[in-house]
Amino acid sequence: MKTTAAVPVTGIPSGKLGMWLFLASEVMFFTGLLGAYIVLRAGLGSWPHPGEELHIPAAALNTFILLSSSMTMALSVAAVHRADRVKLRLFLVFTILLGLAFLSVKGYEYSQKFAHGHFPGTGIFWDCYFTLTGVHGLHVLAGILTNLWVLGLTFRDDFLETRGHFVEVSGLYWHFVDVVWIFLFPLVYLI
Amino acid sequence: MSDPHPAPGYGAYLVIWVWLIALLAGGTFVSYLPIGKTGAVSLILAIALVKTVLVGLFYMHLKAERSVSLWVVVFFPFLLVGAAVLLVLPGIFLFS
Repeated sequence: MKTTAAVPVTGIPSGKLGMWLFLASEVMFFTGLLGAYIVLRAGLGSWPHPGEELHIPAAALNTFILLSSSMTMALSVAAVHRADRVKLRLFLVFTILLGLAFLSVKGYEYSQKFAHGHFPGTGIFWDCYFTLTGVHGLHVLAGILTNLWVLGLTFRDDFLETRGHFVEVSGLYWHFVDVVWIFLFPLVYLI
Repeated sequence: MSDPHPAPGYGAYLVIWVWLIALLAGGTFVSYLPIGKTGAVSLILAIALVKTVLVGLFYMHLKAERSVSLWVVVFFPFLLVGAAVLLVLPGIFLFS
């Protein structure tokens, strides 16, 4: 693959290094959130069993969706390596659709909670639930918008030569969002 | 520039996905097993860690990464996460 990604003295393309540094800050952001959640939960003594309050099958389905979207994202990066525009667009579209499916299931979950009178501010359990899943949902939305932007760029004639590395960089972000959910799912829904 | 990473095959990503889904099923199943809270939590988090390693190594291409600079960037957040866990754990035992 030929790209114009600048390679500074670090030997890492600038965009890729920038994304990894951003992800490093994101790791700390979510560590703070999850740390606060764990300390609050441990300090409260009694905590509702997630299975009684939350919809585990819906969350498991969402995990399946997000893991599948990570695969299609990785496949789109592989398509860039092969200079295969058709498959690149196809896999990017699949990734975007799976991201939208994730948000739809999350929206369904939220609507069920709202219907039962559970909102942010109705108790520490629901505060934690809406904060953790809401912040993650916003990250998914950001990933979808980024992938949509990259998909639009693929229609440029010189995309593979000049901007092919954008797919890998946006892919890193997408996989990170997946990794966060890999921990959120058990911590919020299973344990 | 020439890409330093060899182009991975489509099939390899599919195999990793199968493993990830199997681990998802395993982790969800464990939460229903009568093995005690500590055992279940340890097992579920261990499975989550394995899934993370698979995504990192294969989907984020860290397995093929040879740049020491990048590994430094990747390593430090996890060092800080480890420090955060060590700070949080005593609080949990203190409260519980």
